Amino acid sequence: MRRAKPARRSATRLLALCGGMALGLLSPAAHGADVEYGRYLSTECTTCHGVSKAESTIPDIHGLGESHIAEVIKAYRTKALPNPVMQNVAARLGDEEIAALAAYFATAKRPK
Amino acid sequence: MSTLGLPMLSAPALAQGKPRVVIIGGGPGGATAARYIAKESNGAIDVTLIEPLKTFTTCFFSNLYVGGFRDYKSLTHNYDKVRKGGVKVVHALAASIDRDKKHVVLAGGGKVPYDRLLVAPGIDIKFDSVPGYSESAAEVMPHAWKPGAQTQLLVRKLNALKDGDQIVMIAPPNPYRCPPGPYERVSMFAHVLKKKGFKKSRIVILDPKPTFSKQAVFSEGWEKHYPGVIEWQDPKIHGGIKGVDAKTGEVKTDFTNYKPALVNVIPAQMAGKIARDAGLANQSGFCPIDAASMKSTVDPNIFVVGDASIAGEMPKSAFSANSQAKVAAMVIRAELTKSRAFPARYSNTCWSLIAPDDDVKVGASYEPVDGVIKASSTFVSQRNESADVRKQNYKESIDWYKGITADVFG
Ligand SMILES: Cc1cc2nc3c(=O)[nH]c(=O)nc-3n(C[C@H](O)[C@H](O)[C@H](O)COP(=O)(O)OP(=O)(O)OC[C@H]3O[C@@H](n4cnc5c(N)ncnc54)[C@H](O)[C@@H]3O)c2cc1C
Ligand code: HEC
Repeated sequence: MRRAKPARRSATRLLALCGGMALGLLSPAAHGADVEYGRYLSTECTTCHGVSKAESTIPDIHGLGESHIAEVIKAYRTKALPNPVMQNVAARLGDEEIAALAAYFATAKRPK
Repeated sequence: MSTLGLPMLSAPALAQGKPRVVIIGGGPGGATAARYIAKESNGAIDVTLIEPLKTFTTCFFSNLYVGGFRDYKSLTHNYDKVRKGGVKVVHALAASIDRDKKHVVLAGGGKVPYDRLLVAPGIDIKFDSVPGYSESAAEVMPHAWKPGAQTQLLVRKLNALKDGDQIVMIAPPNPYRCPPGPYERVSMFAHVLKKKGFKKSRIVILDPKPTFSKQAVFSEGWEKHYPGVIEWQDPKIHGGIKGVDAKTGEVKTDFTNYKPALVNVIPAQMAGKIARDAGLANQSGFCPIDAASMKSTVDPNIFVVGDASIAGEMPKSAFSANSQAKVAAMVIRAELTKSRAFPARYSNTCWSLIAPDDDVKVGASYEPVDGVIKASSTFVSQRNESADVRKQNYKESIDWYKGITADVFG
């Protein structure tokens, strides 16, 4: 399986434009994220992200960096990133859920 | 089980007495549940899906077929990958459910025993909710609210229209599958008329409801793309829908007699027959469920998901059915294999195409609150959004279709 490349409309780039939050500050899965919980929570994401490719309007998020995923979701949660679909998805995610999802997707493979 | 033409179970598998999950209905609700239970249980659960159709044509995106944006084939999916995912797919109609003996009786004979049953038969049309309408009248005045021949009939009739011909749609009362669906369909009618260069044809929507889903952005889009073509009438305007006559082609309201060239009647709806016959539905015609698990409130061994269920504030949509199926799958696994259970979380987004590259969306996250599934956050497209946003929505919807159909059918 191909590793996900950053999306064309990469949220990272958008984030950089939105004021340059630093990446990579989050601790990795080994530091207590509940990956099994993340796997359950990820089933919501799969409806949209399951077969998306890097260039899709719905980017491939499998194998993205853990801290990147967490940071992007938090930026959707504060509406620093614009798309209402993802803002709504992120609205109910607490920090624990975000950590679990990020840990899960960082190592997950795109379903065949 | 081998008498059903199922793959032979190896003797050890039988001897181990794996827990058995049976699923009725291979739409977004049933097929999702089957695949997730099989996949996540790694073969620890015996999963059988009962579905008469060898191929499933989606209602979702059928409006894009009506509008000429997709062909029929692109809406059709088979069960090969569901089977490869470890699910036994039995192509038969479930005739009845024996809840005491815990087995499903198939129409051709044969019984399929279960430890847990998931029922996802979708809707049945309440033909008599529109006076004069019937299954045979639908051959002349299609509802096209179930996929397949009905949708194709509607498209044939649409494409045969001449300039000046009138279209009348009778919209359904709540609750029905796909709240924005009728209004997206009318948009597609208007798009087809416009593309043909018609100047004189008009579309009338006779609605039993005083308001409808995404009304603000639909109304705006209709004025922008199809000025003067679409007339929406609420009960105050039409005074009441008196009925249809399939022989004369007439549609009568309290105030007017119409004789349109195309009539699209979308009647009231109820849960599929198998669920009602098994006593899983209440007076509403739909099946009450426990909001935290999608378990029937009538029978602890049965779950109901998708259009057949009463899922609180969730709309009846493929997205909702797929979301509910994942919660039910998680709970069923936990009950049968002691895997971890998590709090139920549901979600839905529905995109609607108004005109080429002008697509709107509505969505929400849902959770159980005091026994009812309630929206915890929502969003909806706004008037005056940029063309870029609307075009992006359309592209998203195409990607979503790929995503959800892969999630449902593999
Ligand atoms: C025009 C239109 C547009 C739509 N657009 C969208 C959209 O954009 N997005 C969206 O999310 N949703 C949309 N929907 C709604 C969506 O199609 C339904 O909500 C969805 O199909 C419900 O899934 P389900 O699994 O509950 O039922 P169904 O899809 O109806 O599947 C039920 C299955 O059960 C089988 N079955 C029934 N009885 C039995 C029995 N006794 N034994 C065995 N099998 C049985 C049937 O053959 C069928 O395959 C739209 C619907 C329409 C009509
Ligand atoms: C209804 C469809 C939908 C669902 C469900 C959904 N997403 Fe998204 N997601 C999108 C879309 C659309 C975008 C692109 C947003 C944009 O244009 O900014 C996106 C973008 C993202 C990105 C940014 C990727 C990048 O770096 O460019 C991440 C991370 C993400 N989603 C994670 C998730 C997670 C985790 C879930 C589940 C909790 C989820 N999404 C559920 C539609 C969805």
